[in-house]
Order: sequence, then C-alpha cells, then structure tokens
Amino acid sequence: MKRLSLAALTLFIFSLFVPYVFAADTFDLVIPLPLTGKQAKFGEMMKKSYEIAAEEINAKGGIKKKKLNLTFEDSGAKPETARAIVEKLIDTKKQPIIVGEYTSACAKAVAAVAEERKTPYLVVASADDDITQKNYKYVFRQNPVNAHYSDGVIDFIQKVVKPKTMAILFESSAFGTSGADAMEKDAARAGIKVLLKEKYEAGSVDFKPLLSKVKAAQPEVIYMVSYVMDASLLMKQIKELRIDAKLFAGGAAGFAIPEFIDNAKDAAEYVITATLWSPQLKYAGAKEYAEKYKKKYGDYPSYHGASAYSALFVTKDAMERAKDWTPDGIRAALKATKLTTAFGPVQFEDKEGYQNQNFTDTLVLQVIKGEHETIWPEKYASKKYLYPIPTWRDRRGTAQAGGIN
Amino acid sequence: MTSAQLEVLLQTLISGLLLGGLYALIGIGMTLIMGVMKIINLAHGELMMVGMYVAYVLFSSFHIDPYLSILIAAPLLFILGVLLQKYLVNPVLKVDAIIPENQVILTVGIGMVLSNIATMIFSSDYKTTPVEYATKAWYLSDYWKASPIELSLSMPWSVSFVFALLITLGLWFFLTKTDMGKSIRATAQDKDAALMMGVNVERMRVFTFGLGSAIVGAAGCLFIPIYYLYPDLGGQFTLIAFVITILGGLGSTIGAIVGGLILGIFESLTSTYIGMGWAPVGRFAIFVAALIFIPGGIVSVLKRRRLSR
Repeated sequence: MKRLSLAALTLFIFSLFVPYVFAADTFDLVIPLPLTGKQAKFGEMMKKSYEIAAEEINAKGGIKKKKLNLTFEDSGAKPETARAIVEKLIDTKKQPIIVGEYTSACAKAVAAVAEERKTPYLVVASADDDITQKNYKYVFRQNPVNAHYSDGVIDFIQKVVKPKTMAILFESSAFGTSGADAMEKDAARAGIKVLLKEKYEAGSVDFKPLLSKVKAAQPEVIYMVSYVMDASLLMKQIKELRIDAKLFAGGAAGFAIPEFIDNAKDAAEYVITATLWSPQLKYAGAKEYAEKYKKKYGDYPSYHGASAYSALFVTKDAMERAKDWTPDGIRAALKATKLTTAFGPVQFEDKEGYQNQNFTDTLVLQVIKGEHETIWPEKYASKKYLYPIPTWRDRRGTAQAGGIN
Repeated sequence: MTSAQLEVLLQTLISGLLLGGLYALIGIGMTLIMGVMKIINLAHGELMMVGMYVAYVLFSSFHIDPYLSILIAAPLLFILGVLLQKYLVNPVLKVDAIIPENQVILTVGIGMVLSNIATMIFSSDYKTTPVEYATKAWYLSDYWKASPIELSLSMPWSVSFVFALLITLGLWFFLTKTDMGKSIRATAQDKDAALMMGVNVERMRVFTFGLGSAIVGAAGCLFIPIYYLYPDLGGQFTLIAFVITILGGLGSTIGAIVGGLILGIFESLTSTYIGMGWAPVGRFAIFVAALIFIPGGIVSVLKRRRLSR
C-alpha cells in the first residue's frame, strides 16, 4: 500500500513537470470562434486564415523558436459560451493572450473577462464601438470600429450621389444597431434626411412588408447593415419589388463577402458596400495571402479572414518584443505595436474616446459584372465606379446578357 | 387613404398570405403528429432542414428543380419519420419515466442529432439553390398600364404557395375520404375507441409520424428557392410550427391552416405598421393570447359556431 501511494506521488510530481517539458518547444494558442450556428461561415473563414498564418509563422521558425500550436474552440456565437471558454483559457490554461471571436456580442463578453483577469485580448473582427470605449486596459482592437466602417461609403455618397434622403435598415444585433446609429449620425452631419430607420430580426424569411414601406417613402439611398444571407435576401426582394433608389449601400459584413454575389446573383449588381480590406489592396502580403487562400479553398477571403490572418502576425510581433510572456509583458508590447500587415498598418491608439484602437482607411466596393471591385477612395480603386445605376425595369435584358455567373 | 398607402397595405397582405400558406404547411405536419401521438414533435424544424438538404443535394449534383425534388424528399422523409417513430419514439413511449412527456425531450435530442449530422456532412456554410426564377415576379403595371399602384407578385413565392395549397388539399382529401385517413382521425379523436373498432393504433402512429415528416420535408423543398439553408435552421421553424399548432387547436388540420394564415398575415402587418424588429414579439403575443383567450385554439371557436347554429 505504502509503495503504491509512493508511486502515485512520484507520478503526480512528474505530471506537474510535464507541461513545462512540452512548453519548451511549442506555444499553444486556443482561439475561440463561432464554428456552428448562424455565424459559422465567418468563423470558418477566420479559422482557415489563422491556420495559413500559423503555417507561415512556423515555417519561419515559429515565435522565438517555439512552434505555434493552434487549436480552436467553438463558441457558437453565444456570448455565454465564449465567456466560459475564455475563463477556462485564462484560469486553467494560463494562456497569456487571447485572440479571436467574431460577433460583437461575444467579443464584448470576452473583453470583460480579459479585463477582469488582466490578460490582453486582441479583437479581430468585432465592430461594435463599445468594446474599445470602456477604458479597458487589456483590450486591443485591430479592425476599425463600426462608427468608421462607413467613412468611405459616406464620403462616396457625399461626393458622387449627393442625396437628400436615406433609409437605413439594420439587423437587431449589437453590430447592426451600432452600424445604423453611426450612419444616422454621419447622415445628419452630411445634411441627409433619414426617412426611415428600421430594424429586423436576422434570419427573417420575408422582408417585403418592410421593403414596401421603404418603397413608399422613396428614399434616394438605401443603406443596410446585415450579415450575409439577410443581405442577399434583401437585395433579391428589393429587385422583386422594383424599389428604385439612386444607390443601394451595404455596411460591410454580409455585403462584402463573395457569397453575397453568389446568392443574390444579378440583384447584387451595382450594390456598393463598405469594407475594411480587399485582395486588390497593395499592402505587402495581402495579395499573397488572398491567392494562397483562394488556391486552398476556392474563393477569395473577405476582410474577416485578412484580419484574422494578420492578427497572428501582430501577436507574434508583440510576443517577440515582450520582455516576458506574462499577460502584462505582452500587453506592454502590444501597446507599442507598429506593424504593417496584410490587413494594413496596425497601431493601437487612444483617441476619439477609444482605447487601444487601430484606425485604418475603410474602402468602398461595388459589385461590377458579378465581382467586387474597389471603387473608393480613388487612390485604391481597381475600377471606375458605375453611377448612376439603371432602374430595375431597364436592367432586365442587360443583366442576363452581362453573363453574371 | 392615398394610393401609396393602399399600395403598402395590399403588398403587405399579399406577402402575409403567401408566407401564411407556407407556415400552414409547416404547422400541419406538427399538428398531425400532435393529434395522433399527443406529443409535440420538437424535431419538426430539423426534419424540414433534412428535406431542404435533400432538395439541395438533388439540385447541386443532379440539377433537379427544388419543386420536383418534393417527389423524392417527401418519401425519404416519410421513411425517416417511420424509422424514428418505430425505433426511437415508440420504445420511449412504453417506458415509465420519472419525467412526464419524456418523448418530447427525446424529440429535442433527435433534432440536435439531425442538425449536428448535417453540420458534419455539409459544414455549417449557408447553402442555396440558385434557381433562375429566384427573383422573377409579376407586376401589376405590366398587365394594367394605367394602374395607379404597383404591386408585385414573386414567382417562386407564388409557386410555393400553390404547391402548399395542393399538398394541403391532398392531405384533407386523404384524411376525410380514405380508409387510412379515417383511421388516423379516429386514433386522434379517441385512441381506445379506435382500438376497439379494430384500428391498428400502433401502425397509425408510425404512419402519422411518417406523414407529418413527409409534409414538413415537402415544405422544406418549397422553402429553399425563396430562403437559404444551414444546419441550425430548424429551431425557428419548430417555433413557428408550435405557435401554429397551439393557435389552431392541438391536433386540428383546419385549425393549422387558418392558424398559419393568421400568423403569416399578422407578422407581415406587424412588420409594416409596427416594425420588423417586432415581428417575433408579435408571434409570442399571439401565442400567449391564444393560450389565454382560446385555449382550445381556432378549431374550438369554429366548433362553437357550428353548435350554436
């Protein structure tokens, strides 16, 4: 009996050392993501991009000679699950930095946990302004905030379309609401009257009642903040009802990914959308990443993927500069980040009431002949914008002849 | 009322009616199972999801039109329903459990398994069947040039609606005119009496579960041209079917049809005149109101009318 317990004790003591033995040559990073549920589409894209980045980092010797070992945990886009995952990562696994999540609601939950436990958290693609406005010391955001998502779009609208009226449709999530609020403020500043500001529940089947109300109001611009399938249903049903606005504009997310065009087909033509990134951008590594992704998975990634891809390089950069791999060491290094990634320049600033926020130019894409083309700001443009757009009635023959595939 | 307001109202009613017809079809399947088995099948939406995946696979690999795929999806779902009932629900029905209604909990589990299998096979990506006629519509001004208002009628929505109507009519005919249908209704009304009259109750139950699944599978095929598909889509339709079942009166086919139409029109009117964000609230308001004011559902109101006359 005594020998047995001695053996057990020895085993136990050895097991204490095991993590250190393994920790010597790998760095484990667990990334919380939505891999099931409605947002899984984006989660998958980000997962693939993280993997591409990890591969590249490991091919070049990893982080300080340690192999970066990625694993993913599915949060199902549920804040409570995301919260639980991150609590576990910090409390049990002692992971010194948290990277990941997608929806704003989840990122908010994770940010609260990270701040409470004084562990740096790098937000990758969650846009709700709130997240970096709470005086959090440990929360860093790489993507621009929702309030700035539409900077490019509003600029385009003011300089090219010059409308007097606008309707705003948005989904009733944190992302949708903050995007719509930001646009409302921008519109007021630009002297555009918002005739209608309506929210809807994501996943709705029939938008026609709402849209017929929009039609009766006759806005010159229709601005929509939606995730992907709602975006294509909205445009399809706008086409069905023949609502002729001067411009249909989307606020990033659902409108900016290739699936939007695949699903909405010819109804997607001429729609403009805000976006944070496009493969046509001339940042070092942007094109290479986009091509690599396309070669592997058959489609170009959207900004979500690019941001995820770059986030690992930001993490790597910070960890290499950190004086030690403690949460505080990494936090200090992140704060001093000055890096140009495939996503664009990354630098965490405190301004306009945000803390640790990266500010980059936002772009405008337009669907031209079934492809997303960068049209604004003009210095980044890959094609000249198409404006004015034809009415739905006139589009009939042309759209089919145009060969939208 | 100006012509613009009239246009909005009419367009809303059209949308509501079309949506309601499809809702009714989803509701009928659940109501049938409810009537005969006395359980709420909470895997209903997931069965619809399976039907939609069948349509999706047929479309993407064999270019079979989603409407045609009803002919394949419905029988497949029938078989799936029969198997589920025979090997999962029935054994549980026979066991005395600590928790009452343990079959209901079983259906929740079935739903979860189905949606996770779908995730494994098809990943959680959104799928669509991009048919050519997806955004085709008929416009009033094309037929009546001088029309003061413009109304549009979406082609896939109308086709789906007509199919839903045909399936419902077929079901009604089956339930009222055929032997089998009468046995099902007898089982629903009084299981013991039916048993004494020589109805094979066990078989009716299995058959009804299959039939209910087949109908909701067909509803899935009607939905996919106008909507899209992902593994977790079941839940929201289970909820809709549940509201319709309660509203219509548990187990009543006519009730489910009227309930579906009411829910569709009510949702559209809420979207237009209160706000689309309120549509789910409206759904629950109807649900609670039905439970409080007409606990027997619409069918009880219809019956009362008939009796008092």
